[in-house]
Amino acid sequence: MTVVATRPGTTHDVEDVARRAPRRRISPERIAAASTLVVLGVLASAAVVRTDISIPNMIASWSNAEHFFQRVGTVRFPDPVTLLQQTALTVGLVLLGTLLAAVLSVPVAYLAAANTSPGRGWIAAARFVSVLTRAVPDVVLAMVFVLMFTIGTLPGILAIGIHSVGMISKLFADAIEQIDEGPRAAVRAAGGSRAQQFTAGVLPQVLPSWVATVLHRNDINLRGSVILGYVGIVGLGREMSFAFKSLDYSLGIGYAIVIFVLCVLMEVVSSTVRAAMLGVAPAGGGLGARALRARQRRRDQRGARDHQGARDQRGARDQRGRADQDGSIDAALRRPWTRTRVRNTVWGWLAVAVVVGSVLVCDIAWGDLATVWAKIPPVAAQFWPPGFGSYGAPVMLDAVFDTVAIALAATLLALVLSIVIGSFAARNVAPGAGVRGGARLLLVVVRGVPETILAVVLIVITGLGAQAGTLALAFGGIGLLGKLVADSLEEVARGPERALTAAGATRLQRYAGATVPQGFRAMLGHTFYLLDTNIRAATILGIVGGGGVGYYLLNAAQGSNYATVTAIVLMILVTVLVVEGIAMWMRRVFR
Amino acid sequence: MTNHHDHGDAPAAVEITDLTKRFGDTVALRDVSLRVRQGEVVVLLGLSGSGKSTLLRHVDALELPTTGSVRVEGTEVHRLHGRRLREVRSRIGFVFQQFELVPALTVLENVLTGSLATLRGPRLGLWSYPRRLRRTALGHLDRVGLLDRAYQRADTLSGGQQQRVAIARALMQDPTVLLADEPVASLDPESSDQVMRLIREIAADRGLTVLCSLHQVDLALSWADRIIGLRHGEVVLDTPTNGLSKAQVMEIYGQVATSTDELTAIEAELQPLLDAAERRS
Repeated sequence: MTVVATRPGTTHDVEDVARRAPRRRISPERIAAASTLVVLGVLASAAVVRTDISIPNMIASWSNAEHFFQRVGTVRFPDPVTLLQQTALTVGLVLLGTLLAAVLSVPVAYLAAANTSPGRGWIAAARFVSVLTRAVPDVVLAMVFVLMFTIGTLPGILAIGIHSVGMISKLFADAIEQIDEGPRAAVRAAGGSRAQQFTAGVLPQVLPSWVATVLHRNDINLRGSVILGYVGIVGLGREMSFAFKSLDYSLGIGYAIVIFVLCVLMEVVSSTVRAAMLGVAPAGGGLGARALRARQRRRDQRGARDHQGARDQRGARDQRGRADQDGSIDAALRRPWTRTRVRNTVWGWLAVAVVVGSVLVCDIAWGDLATVWAKIPPVAAQFWPPGFGSYGAPVMLDAVFDTVAIALAATLLALVLSIVIGSFAARNVAPGAGVRGGARLLLVVVRGVPETILAVVLIVITGLGAQAGTLALAFGGIGLLGKLVADSLEEVARGPERALTAAGATRLQRYAGATVPQGFRAMLGHTFYLLDTNIRAATILGIVGGGGVGYYLLNAAQGSNYATVTAIVLMILVTVLVVEGIAMWMRRVFR
Repeated sequence: MTNHHDHGDAPAAVEITDLTKRFGDTVALRDVSLRVRQGEVVVLLGLSGSGKSTLLRHVDALELPTTGSVRVEGTEVHRLHGRRLREVRSRIGFVFQQFELVPALTVLENVLTGSLATLRGPRLGLWSYPRRLRRTALGHLDRVGLLDRAYQRADTLSGGQQQRVAIARALMQDPTVLLADEPVASLDPESSDQVMRLIREIAADRGLTVLCSLHQVDLALSWADRIIGLRHGEVVLDTPTNGLSKAQVMEIYGQVATSTDELTAIEAELQPLLDAAERRS
């Protein structure tokens, strides 16, 4: 009402309004955060220059590529027996490693989740384990284990198993924290102990998400197994590394194709298992998940008809009256073999068979588990204190800067392309269904190629160095970030978009004025997530020759300079923590 | 276990003395004292936020008092830990407003979780429960009329059916005391009738001591031996239902409700109750 009274009616009030209007206040923190973003952008641009990504270089590389493909000639695959053997070995090893991590993660998650943990101290300790295992790359663990164990599958299983605890236990704990506390309280009210509350009230609620987590991690570990091959873990990765090292490009590319196909197949299988065991539609955007969703839609239509039939039958049975004699209760003790039960049983035994098969294939040297303990203390003692060994600090710091530069440059390149492709893949931005479908398909295909394979091939084409690593990470980053950008844009509120359209805005104005501002925060978070992932990945790509500190990491481990390994891991850890800190600060400021 | 049969005509099944509960700065319960005889049916009335749920949760030691004491069959439940606490809890059945079944488990396994206090160690999967208990559980499912749903997932059932499964779960504990926190507030009228009839039958058959919060006043008057009214965490009314007159019922609501707005809202709900009270007197 007061608004009406003081509303300026004539033009000469404009000055008055301008005088009375509050001045725009930007908090110093916001200025600082915005400046940091600008600085990061500039640094990333500088990093692109530093990593030698330029148009002339690309053209030069192109002739290399032609040369390379001439040398590859025809792609050659290994003989079927070797192929089968190595594939089984790789899959079995990865599977057992992931399972080991899953088992180890249960107690860690129980202690880390706020609602199950016995105390604050336990939460902190469990979170520390989670962060620590995530921080030490599985490659580093593998390099160390390879030296401590007799050659075989055990180093790989342990490396995957320990490293994966970080991610799996974190996601397990998140799932525990998200449960509905009601059923657990009901078990408590009935007098259930803590352990009983967990198995009866918590576990059934989290199991679907736990299985999904483990399967997801298994896919990641299969992709990662390629790089494990470069440090001597048996399987397809090692065969590929041998082929490339002996300059047998046609065989190397053959192995690369096999691994690529295997990764896609594994994704299809894990999506199938998820859908079959849990009756949930896979949420991923991968090739397998897509194919399955389509199949499930058809099955749902069929299922709805079945369900109707079953309901009719039940109705008929209800009419025949309630069973109230002991006879019918005894009959009810036998669980009927419904289609669901048959299916679950078959899948269950299949899973057991796969695990047993993996153990057999891996031919684990169990004896090592007994003898290795004696080797741990002397080896562990060599890791501390960290030192730079013969390289010296300037060389190492330069290498770390290289790694960070690769990560920054790859993130920037991925971001620019992701915004373009991701926007076209968002339903509310894309000009048509065809464009959107095309963009989504492009993202799925890009995601399908394991980064390591890409890096290995690029290294052969462009030569050893930062350029190959950057391009490989940028390419992989598009698959991840492009999808996340598309999802963030699709998730914005539709109201403001409609309002701008109603006000006569063009498509582009609506995109800039309503869609992007709403999706900005999510996109910022995803970009920092990619930067975090890229720093870790850039370290690892150095091992296959992608530039940066990874090369020194491999050398140090293979030369048993453990002090240097510790120094490098610590440097990477600090870098990642700094990035994570900046990301958290950004999320808070740009709320 | 000590017995406190020293005063009153029947031993107290639940005895709450000067119970005060604070959550931070808010006082959820203030100096609540009440005594429930064995086999007595007590209905708690009060608006949401008046402290009914908190009071019920104290009886099962799901909440612990800030000050005061809670005795169940003579035992101070808030002082118990571990095995002894679980033993007492196992004798108290609890029916929740939101049923609180584990959605992913079968109906039968949900019922079986009521027997956990008698078993050692964690359980997962139907076959981890002894055959004897499975048989008992099926019997209870039959009692609530859901034997044919035993192997279905709990979340495939309707709300009313889920609450009946929850009742079967409580029966599995072979309880002497039944706590029910708004057991039909989330149900449609038809299932609500069915569930209430079941609870009343079971309570009568087994001579259970019942503490039940409700907001259906007619139901409260026709079932309860006693009505306890709560307002802002305080007991503002504690009276036998026998021979309550229309005028008194109006007064109850004057006491339970806090404003005239609430009074008018309640009056609409009150009509069937007034009729019932009239028939009674």
